[in-house]
Amino acid sequence: MDTNAEILVDKRTIDEIISRNAGKPGMLLTSMEEIQEANEYKFLDPQSMEYLSYRTKVPLSQIYSVATFYSFFNLKPQGKHTIIVCRGTACHTKGSKVLLEDLNILPGCKDAFDNGETSFTTEDRQITVKTVACFGQCALAPVVAVDGMIYSNVTSEMILKLLQNLREDKKDENIKLC
Amino acid sequence: MRISNYADLEEIRLKAASKILPDKPYIAVGMGTCGIGRGAEVLYDSFQRIINERKLDIILKKTGCFGFCAEEPLVNIYIPGKPLVILHRVAEVDVIPVVSAIQKGLMPFRNVLCRIEDWDFITGKFEFGKGLTEHPLWNEIPFFKWQKKIVLRNCGLIVPDDIEEYIGVGGYFPLYSVLTGKSPQEVIDEVKLSKLRGRGGAGFPTGQKWELMAKVKADQKYVVCNADEGDPGAFMNRNEIESDPFMLLEGMTIGAYAMSASKGVVYIRAEYPLAVRRLKGAIEQAKSLGLLGENILGSGFNFDIDIVEGAGAFVCGEETALIKSIEGKAGRPVPRPPYPAVKGLFDYPTNINNVETWCNIPVVMSKGASWFTETGTERSAGTKVFSLVGKVKNTGLVELPLGSTLETIVFRIGEGSGSQKRVKAVQTGGPSGGCIPVDYMKTPVDYESLNALGAIMGSGGMVVMDQDNCMVDVARYFTEFSNSESCGKCTPCREGLAQTLEIIKKFTSGKAQEEDIKTLEELGQVIKATALCGLGQTAPNPVLTTLRYFRDEYDHHMIEKKCEPGICQDLFTALCENSCPMHMNIPRYLQLLKENKLEDAFESSLRDNPLPSTIGRICHFHCQMKCRREGIDAPVSQGEIHRYISDTVYAKESYKKIYDRLISEKMPPTHKKIAIVGGGPAGLTAAFYLVRLGHDVTIYDSEAEAGGILRWGIPKYRLPLDILQREIDFIKELGVKFVMNTCVGKDISLEQLEHDNHVVILAVGAHKDTELQISGCNLNGVISGMDFLKEIAHEKKPEIGRHVVIVGAGNVAIDAARTALRLGSEVTVVYRRLKADMPANKDEIKEAENEGVNFLFLCNPEEILADANDKVRGVRLMKMACGEVDLSNRRKPVPTGEFFTLDCDNVIMAIGEEVDAEFAKEYGINLKSNGSILVDHFTHETNHPKFYAIGDAITGPATAAEAMGIAKKAAEVIDLKLMDKNRFHKLFREFEYSNEVPLKPEGGNRHYSVKLPLEERVGNFKEISLGYTPAQAYAEAARCLRCDVRTTVKREEE
Repeated sequence: MDTNAEILVDKRTIDEIISRNAGKPGMLLTSMEEIQEANEYKFLDPQSMEYLSYRTKVPLSQIYSVATFYSFFNLKPQGKHTIIVCRGTACHTKGSKVLLEDLNILPGCKDAFDNGETSFTTEDRQITVKTVACFGQCALAPVVAVDGMIYSNVTSEMILKLLQNLREDKKDENIKLC
Repeated sequence: MRISNYADLEEIRLKAASKILPDKPYIAVGMGTCGIGRGAEVLYDSFQRIINERKLDIILKKTGCFGFCAEEPLVNIYIPGKPLVILHRVAEVDVIPVVSAIQKGLMPFRNVLCRIEDWDFITGKFEFGKGLTEHPLWNEIPFFKWQKKIVLRNCGLIVPDDIEEYIGVGGYFPLYSVLTGKSPQEVIDEVKLSKLRGRGGAGFPTGQKWELMAKVKADQKYVVCNADEGDPGAFMNRNEIESDPFMLLEGMTIGAYAMSASKGVVYIRAEYPLAVRRLKGAIEQAKSLGLLGENILGSGFNFDIDIVEGAGAFVCGEETALIKSIEGKAGRPVPRPPYPAVKGLFDYPTNINNVETWCNIPVVMSKGASWFTETGTERSAGTKVFSLVGKVKNTGLVELPLGSTLETIVFRIGEGSGSQKRVKAVQTGGPSGGCIPVDYMKTPVDYESLNALGAIMGSGGMVVMDQDNCMVDVARYFTEFSNSESCGKCTPCREGLAQTLEIIKKFTSGKAQEEDIKTLEELGQVIKATALCGLGQTAPNPVLTTLRYFRDEYDHHMIEKKCEPGICQDLFTALCENSCPMHMNIPRYLQLLKENKLEDAFESSLRDNPLPSTIGRICHFHCQMKCRREGIDAPVSQGEIHRYISDTVYAKESYKKIYDRLISEKMPPTHKKIAIVGGGPAGLTAAFYLVRLGHDVTIYDSEAEAGGILRWGIPKYRLPLDILQREIDFIKELGVKFVMNTCVGKDISLEQLEHDNHVVILAVGAHKDTELQISGCNLNGVISGMDFLKEIAHEKKPEIGRHVVIVGAGNVAIDAARTALRLGSEVTVVYRRLKADMPANKDEIKEAENEGVNFLFLCNPEEILADANDKVRGVRLMKMACGEVDLSNRRKPVPTGEFFTLDCDNVIMAIGEEVDAEFAKEYGINLKSNGSILVDHFTHETNHPKFYAIGDAITGPATAAEAMGIAKKAAEVIDLKLMDKNRFHKLFREFEYSNEVPLKPEGGNRHYSVKLPLEERVGNFKEISLGYTPAQAYAEAARCLRCDVRTTVKREEE
C-alpha cells in the first residue's frame, strides 16, 4: 500500500466513530463508511484502515476484504467534484451509455472505463467520474448526480454543460439546465 | 409522552384527525426523491416565502410521493369541505396563482391532475368533500384507474415524518390490537391465512417463513428488513420508506412479536439518503412515543431497530450475503441449509423479509386475512407495487392486484410508448428476470405465470423497451451487470458469466458464429443449475429469454453483422447509414460535397444506390429519423442533398465519366443467366448489382416501360419522368436486358424461366388493392387507388366528379388525393384513426393539406350509397372515438354509433395493398398467410430451388427504399451462392476525403428547399420540390456532425 503520510483522518475522529457505533449491528461497515466520509478526499487511506483494525481488533485482512468488495469504498483519493452517471436499466434504456461516453472528453476517461474500472479521476484531482447501478429515480431516466445533486431527464447537451461548470470549478453554483 | 394504553393512542388519533382534515387550507408539496429531483424543494421554499410575506393562514406540508413520477412535482391542495385536489407539473410560475386562488377560497384551476373526494387509508377512512366535478376523480385517470392502493395507501397523502399523522389515519392500532389481543401464534396463523408471499421476488409464503423461526428457541432472535433494492429500475421500496416509514416499523414490530425477536435491523442501500434520513427520524419518533424500544405500548414487549447502510453491492440483497454484510464481512452468499431462521445474523435465528412484505402486515392484521385474499389470485393474494419505467408515457409506481396483465400495466396504465415508436418488449424482474415481447403481454403478472415465459416478476421492476432498443445489447447489459456484481465465490457464476459476456460481445462486434448461440444456451442452463445463490441462478435469464423471443436480432448481428436499432457501434458507420435500408455511406457523400468533390459525391451515392435522384425525391428518409443533429436543432436533410448532388451532376453532364467507369469495371461474364420478374425499384436494384458482377440479367415486366411503382404509381409532381428514365436508362447501359409487355404466368411461364435461367428472382411488388368489403363497394364510381394512379401514369384521364372521397391513409391514398385535386375535383380523405397514426410520408400529408385536400379523422366508412342509376352518390360513415392504447401502440378506434353521410361522386379505395402471387403459388412456391412470398430471411430463397424473391413481394407494401435495400442484400447472397466467392465488396471503392470533425455545430439551422407556389400547382403535374440551391446544399452538408468518425488512440510503448 502506498503510504502518503499527508492524507489522514484524525485518530480522534476514528475513535469517536468506533465508540458511537460500538455494539450495533453493521458496526464495521458503518464505521468504514463514516471514516471514508471524514476523509477530505473521500477515500479509505491505509493508515486509517490500520488504525481501525488496531482499535477494533478486526484483522486488517478482513477490513481490506470489505474495502475491496463493496463498490462504495474508494481506495484512491477522489476528485474535488464527483459526477455520477446512473447505469441502471431504465437509465440505460433511455441512453445513459451515451452520456457516459460524452464524458470521454476527459483524457484517460475512456481507457479507464474500457478497462473495466468503475471510477476515473482526472490527473489534477478536480473531477471524478463514476457510475452507479441505480439511484432509484428510474421514472426520470436518465439520471446524473453532480456533487450529490441529482439531475433528471439528462441529455448530452446538459451533461456537457454540467461538466464544463465543474471544470470551471463550479463557476455557476445554481446552474440551470433547460 | 409515551403511549401506554388505548386511550392514549386514541387521543393522538383524534388530535391528528384535525391535521388530516384541518379547518384551514393546506398546501402539501410532494417531496420524494423524484419530486426533489424535479425541483420540489425550490417549490416548497417559494410557497413558504409567499405564505410568510402575505401572512397567510395556510398550512404548508411536505408529503411523500403519490406515484405518478412522470408528472412531478405534485402538489396537493386542501380547502376544508372541498375534495382534495392534486396539481401536477407545478412550476415556479404557478406558485403565486395557486396561493392567490386559495386566498379567495377557490381551488386553483391550472395544472389540475385529479380530485379525491374520499380516501380509504385501509386502517382508516377520511372524507374530504364532494364537488368540483369538472376535474376527474383520481381513479378516472388511466394511470390510476386500474390501481388498488393497499401498500401505497398513505404515500403522497400524509406527512411521512409525522408519527401523529400516521396514527391519525389509523396507524399503530393494528399493533395495539396484536399486542393486547393476540398471541404470537394467532398472528402467524392470520398471516398464513392471508396467503401473503414474499414481495422481494422469491415469493415464499410469509406466514410459513415466520412459523419456521417462531419454532426455534433462542435467547435472542433478529428480524431484518431487506431494503437493499439493488434491482436497477426498481424503486418501490425507496418510495415506501420515504413516503410512509412508519408502516415498515409497525410491520416489523408485529413480526418481531409473532416470532419472539427482540432486535431488528433495516439493511438499506446507501444510494437512498433521503429514505435513510426519514427512517432514522421515524425510529426516533416511535421510540419517544413508546411504540418502539422497551415496553412497547405498555405491553411488556421489547423490540428495537437499528439501521445499517449498504455499500454498493447488489449481491447483498441475497439474504445470506446480507447477513454477512451486517456482520462486517464481504457479502458472499453461503449455501442453505442452515436457513437464517435457524442460524442467521451473528448465528442467531433471523427472519428476513422485503420492505413491501413488512408493509402489508399492518393491513393484514387490521382488515383480516379473508379481506386480503379478496384481492389478487388464488395463489397470489394481495397487490404488488411495480415501477413502470423506460420507454413508456406514464412512468411511476403503480400498485395493482396480482394477476393483472402486462397489457394493463404497459398500455392501459402506461398508455404505451408515448411516442411514435412501437413498444417491443417489457423487461421484468431486474437482472434476474427476462424480456417479454409485446405478443405475450396478455400474460397475468404473478409469481407463477411469468415463470412459464422464462421471466420472473421479481421485485416489481418493469422496464419498457421500444424498437430503438437492441435486445442483444440488453442481454449484454444485464450480463455485464451480473458479472460485475458477482461475489466471485462459485465458479459457475464467476467464470460462467464472464464467458457469457465475452460471447455476447462477439455478437455486438460482428464476430459471432452459429455455435455461439448454442454455447450461450448451454452455458445459461448450466449456470442456472449449479450456481450457489440466487444471483447466479437467475443471471442467465435475460440471455435465455432474449434468445428465446428475439432470436432474429441475434441472427441479424451474427449473419448480417448489423444492428438494426443502431446501438452496437461496431456494426455500423453512423446512425443515418444504419437506418438507411441501402446503408448508403451518408457522411461520406456529405463530406465530399463539402469539399466540392461533386463527381466523387455522386459516384459514392450511385454505388450505394442506383436511383439517387429518384430516391432523393420520394424516400421516407429513415436517415433523418435517427440523425443526431436533431438533438441540437433539426436533422440534416440528407436526402435533399443526395438529390442535389445527382441532379447537378446530371445537369453538368459530368455523370458520363462515372457511368463509363462503372461500365468498364463490370466483372467478366460469368455466363450465369438471371431472370428478374418485375422492373420496379427492387428488380432494378437487383439487376444493377448483378449485371455489374458479370451475370446475364433480364428483367421481365408486364407494363410497357420499367419503373414499377416509381413510374406507374408515384405521381409526376413528386417524381418527373425524365429523372426516373435517365436512371433506368443507365441500368440498360450496364447491359441489363428488358423484356416488356410480358406478364409472367401468362405470356411466359415460370417453367420456361426456370428452364432458361440459373436463377429466377420474383420482384412483383404489392399491387393488388386490399378490398374494403362494405355494401356498395362494387358500384360504378368506386375506383381502386392503384388503378387510378396507373391510369394517370398512362396519360389517360379517369372520369371523376366534383367531389371525391378517398378511403385510406397511406402513400397511395395521399398520392391519389393530390392527383384528383389536380384533375379539378374537391377531395376529402377519410381515416378511421388520428392524423398522427397515418402511415403516409409526413411531408406528403402536409403538402396535401396545403394544397386543399380535406381530412376527416376518426370516421369509418360503413356503406357506399347509390343513386337511381346505381352510381355512387355518397358515403355513410360512422364516427369513431379514441379507445385505449392497443399493443400496436396506437389508440383503438371505438365506434360511437353516430353516423353521417358525405355526398360525393366517386370513392377511391386505398386502404392497403397486397401481393398477388397466385401465379407463383400455382407453380408450387409457398406463400405466407397474407399472400406475400415466403422466403428465408437471409438467403432470400423460396422453397423452390432456383427461385428467389425480394421487395414488397416478400414484405408486403413497404417503401421503395426498403425494397431496394432488400434487393441489394439479395444480390450479394445470390452472387455468393452462384460463384461461391465473396465478390460483392468489389463493386464499391474507397474515396479520399477528410475525417475532420466540426468542433462546433456548423451550417445553422436546417434549410428547406423552395417549393412551387400553390397557385402554380393547380391543374398540372409540374414538379413541386425544386431542390436546393448550391448555397443551401453546401450549408446543409456542413451541418453533419460526422458521427462516423471514430478515434483510435495509440498507446505509447512502455
